[in-house]
Amino acid sequence: MTDATELKSRSGIPLNPWYGADGDEAPGQFPFTRGRLGSERGGGSWIQRELSGEGDPAASNAQIRYLISKGQMGIDVIGDSPTMGMLDPDHPLAVNAIGTQGVSLCCKQDYLELFDGLPLEKISVSSSVQPVFALAGYVLAARHAGLAAEKLRGSVLQAPFYGEDCGYAIHMPFDLRLRLSTDAMEFCAKELPRFHSYVEDTYFFAESGLDAVDEMALGFYEIRHITRKLLSRGVPIDSFAPRIAILINCSMDFFEEVAKIRATRRLFAKMMRDEFGATDPRSQSVVITSHTSGLTLTSQQPTNNIVRGTLQALSLVLGGVQALEISAFDEGFRTPSREAHLVGLRTQQILQLESGVTKVADPLGGSHYVEALTDEMENRIHERLKEIEAIGSPSQLSEHGWFAEVFQRAMADHQRRIDTGEQAMIGVNCHTIPEDEDTMLKEIVETKIEPVRERIGKIQALRANRDQEQTLARLRAVRGAAANPDDNLLPRVIDALNADATTGEISGAMRLAHGAPWDPYNRVEALI
Amino acid sequence: MSAETMKRPARVLIGMLGLDQHEVGAIAVAGMLMEAGMEVIYTGRFNTPDSLVNAALSEDVDVIGISVHSWEYIDYLPELQVKLNEAELDVPLMIGGSILTPDDRNNLQKSGIAATFPAGAGRDEIIQTVERLARVN
Repeated sequence: MTDATELKSRSGIPLNPWYGADGDEAPGQFPFTRGRLGSERGGGSWIQRELSGEGDPAASNAQIRYLISKGQMGIDVIGDSPTMGMLDPDHPLAVNAIGTQGVSLCCKQDYLELFDGLPLEKISVSSSVQPVFALAGYVLAARHAGLAAEKLRGSVLQAPFYGEDCGYAIHMPFDLRLRLSTDAMEFCAKELPRFHSYVEDTYFFAESGLDAVDEMALGFYEIRHITRKLLSRGVPIDSFAPRIAILINCSMDFFEEVAKIRATRRLFAKMMRDEFGATDPRSQSVVITSHTSGLTLTSQQPTNNIVRGTLQALSLVLGGVQALEISAFDEGFRTPSREAHLVGLRTQQILQLESGVTKVADPLGGSHYVEALTDEMENRIHERLKEIEAIGSPSQLSEHGWFAEVFQRAMADHQRRIDTGEQAMIGVNCHTIPEDEDTMLKEIVETKIEPVRERIGKIQALRANRDQEQTLARLRAVRGAAANPDDNLLPRVIDALNADATTGEISGAMRLAHGAPWDPYNRVEALI
Repeated sequence: MSAETMKRPARVLIGMLGLDQHEVGAIAVAGMLMEAGMEVIYTGRFNTPDSLVNAALSEDVDVIGISVHSWEYIDYLPELQVKLNEAELDVPLMIGGSILTPDDRNNLQKSGIAATFPAGAGRDEIIQTVERLARVN
């Protein structure tokens, strides 16, 4: 607490980088309740970004450039529903969904266009696209731009156990989904040392309506299993643990969310040190990234969503997250409009630069309430994790539909709480206004994005003009690697994408190796 | 309508179209209709107009409800209506989902959709509407 800083309150009161009594846990000290490594120097900043991606890769590139020009520090890109489901734009089921809810990405050229001219050496590229393709496409784009892989920063989201049950279905068996995650981690530990190859995505499955205890228990259940798996493959803990991060949800219980973040850091630190023997402090102090909750937003009186986003972002900042996205106020209706993007980004900038909340690290630390809630959150997450582990292995729980049931129950509970008014939702179950009065910002939600059907012809031309023999050989290599648990799929996928194989084809080759159909919807014939 | 047919619980098909993935609403509505004593034929995600018409035919449903969380319905619905006509199925269609704006709902009602439910449509409103549509049919 002796850092010579010039931190002052608005009235000139000198401030310490953090506050506590002698002997108290300091920010940046094991078990990192009060902030991860480095946070002893004060609250500081976080990577600010807004979710982007719409239309074709060139349109999304323009959208990203716009956000960077407005002060965004990192990017996050989501694919349209075909891309997220590992289907090409010319798949019969994709026709009405191309580029409408994210960007359409399916081949190397798409990734080159998406990242074209972006300052990849300066920004962190987070991707919500299926991790194996996000990673392969990013590596190829960086290679094309002449950037060394070891310099690349960014992350991919992983949730191999749960994606099939409440996210975008990719119709891959459990073992293959797990393999894709562990292969990515092993590959990045060697090739992309600055890249977060495993971001445990508790955000998306918590959007089913889970409470904070279940959200983090299921997150730790997955992290723990993946860690054991990699250790059993002989990958040293301190080579990959620093590259694990957690993307958390932030719902509408302000102090509980702060407590959740603090308890999560503590649980992670203890697990890594005491259970897995990690000695590097970077392995023990987990990076936490965050999105404010889309589920708490309303289509009624959408202006109120700006306030919800601000409150949730504030609890995330006070909890000490490393990156933040605010779900856009028009999320109930559409992918973010330019206006909503700017409001989300400006909200973050107001918190960072105007509000003063970042001056001191862990400003709520020491509050009787927040400390008690943090302890109780830690206990409950730990107990729930033990309970889930006692029920069965991840593959058993996945195959018997146990996870699906948990998510469906959470959805039903959420709906019931809104219906009965147990959970107040302004504009929905209280303080409603007639529809004809509910006009503020509504004009924004009436604009729609047309499906980009030109993509179909483009991808068909790619297939017609590529070196087909080479593409097929690379696809067979993917199938071979997928069948051999000792191989790593990432280099094969990168090679195949580099030879103009597409997302649909590469995922088809992987499915074939596991006895699943090339096309899960039985509309497209296998190439190999 | 005889007293006996009145007693048969309404049979309602609930499903989604194309690659529309967010299933929360569909599951919630299916649950509330079942709790209200109706029979729900739940076709889940990844349907096409053809697969919905086939399900409606083989299950002899009174009402079809589509949950929408993407704009794919804009292109699929006219096709579904044509195919229902071709199959001579006079089954009312209802559409629900938080993405439906006031303009969307007006357009849907003009195009012959029997009922639309925006975000926050209440349980009672949904159940009463389905019962009314099933009875008329």
